[in-house]
Amino acid sequence: MLLRVLSVIAFWPLAGATHAQVSDPGDTEAFAEELKRGEVETAAGAEIDPWEGFNRKMFSVHNALDDVLLVPAAKVYRATTHKKQRKGIRNFLDNLRTPVILLNDVLQGEFGRAGNTASRFVINTTIGFGGMGDPAERLGIPQHSEDFGQTLAVWGVDPGPYLFLPLLGPTTVRDGVGAAMGVAADPSIWIRTEAAQYYRFSHAGAVALSRREPLIEPLADIRENSLDYYASFRSFYLQARKREIDNGRTNFEDLPDIGEFEEFDELE
Amino acid sequence: MFLRIDMKCFAAAAMGFAAAIAAPPALADEAAEQYVAAILLEAEPALMSPDEAVRFNGIARLVDKYVDMRRIGMFSLGQYARQMTTAQRQEYLALFERYATDIYQDILSDYSGQALKVVGSVVRSERDIIVNSKVADPRPGSEFAKVTVHWRVYRDRQGAMSIVDAGADQIWLAIEQRGEFTSVIANNGGGSQGIDVLIAELRARLGD
Repeated sequence: MLLRVLSVIAFWPLAGATHAQVSDPGDTEAFAEELKRGEVETAAGAEIDPWEGFNRKMFSVHNALDDVLLVPAAKVYRATTHKKQRKGIRNFLDNLRTPVILLNDVLQGEFGRAGNTASRFVINTTIGFGGMGDPAERLGIPQHSEDFGQTLAVWGVDPGPYLFLPLLGPTTVRDGVGAAMGVAADPSIWIRTEAAQYYRFSHAGAVALSRREPLIEPLADIRENSLDYYASFRSFYLQARKREIDNGRTNFEDLPDIGEFEEFDELE
Repeated sequence: MFLRIDMKCFAAAAMGFAAAIAAPPALADEAAEQYVAAILLEAEPALMSPDEAVRFNGIARLVDKYVDMRRIGMFSLGQYARQMTTAQRQEYLALFERYATDIYQDILSDYSGQALKVVGSVVRSERDIIVNSKVADPRPGSEFAKVTVHWRVYRDRQGAMSIVDAGADQIWLAIEQRGEFTSVIANNGGGSQGIDVLIAELRARLGD
């Protein structure tokens, strides 16, 4: 169960959640310096989480809402849909995000990935029945995700403090700004008609349900098993977010030393 | 002629540039890979067993044999590792070993029925190596098919190896534990007082 947590924790309702993609293991790549430092959990979270008091309160508010609103709704969603339908809905919602992903691929100078994104959009929108299916994946063009927060990271913007907001979920100041840019990049936000309004709310609701549903058990599991749910959640989130920014390339450079705690040798 | 030389220079420069920006060749540590491969082979009967008790006992035995719980336990305390009394350390390490063994059992049980195989390694330093593994023959549609399971291998001064962390897709257990433990300590008065609270929490968690 915990392993499922590790692999899906980056999917978060509403926030700029992204898909994990791990490249072949073993390859190391050089990354921007700011990716190497500063994002991994620091001891006691003091550096990354100076607003811990506020965040903990918001986390409690969120969990209360989660218990009475999101989880029951996600359970209803699960009960009334088939696994394959949910996959189709997830694909469809992901396909809607493709233009933003493409824009961010380009802004990050990842032209190969931009080509993949464009191809995926064309293939999945046409022979994938408007994005419900993912034939592009079977054709060897796997999905990846980008958002404005990741682009800002690649451009060298530090993450800034960790921030947790009810319903919007975990983020950092940089990624929060990125998420707002993502909202602004959605054409429907600028159209002031009733239909656009309806679309916005139903889209947000669909995204929230679609992303919360696979996390029902994993998050319950962390909550039950952790000594400090808030700290555990923050650590998983920050590690997963870093992986997203690294675009799944394996980067072990910035791991804290474990083995090199020479003073522990004396304890042996 | 000039053009030809220029072209050659250009080609050489381009190749040099390409070599410079290309990913450095992944270093591998064969001894560490073999070390983990042997452990995974030894783990196979336990992982393959349909009986949960057999699985849990097998995993616990392997963890006891190969995982350096003392080192991970000390790492998980972050800066507080140096603020412990000897009595606290003894009590904490005994509890930590049981707590972390439970977690390894929980995680590795996810793989029941699926063997893991080593697929490569990355050398952080001569004494700190990441060995990567994947599910050998994933069942069709298995959610673990694409997951890379990492093993962090520590080589001590005498050359003996041990496992000091495990992770999946670049998310590491000991790092998560350190985030959690240091938070419990810091939020309960820090220092010796906070360590006592952590010990009490671990004790409560283990049902003592």
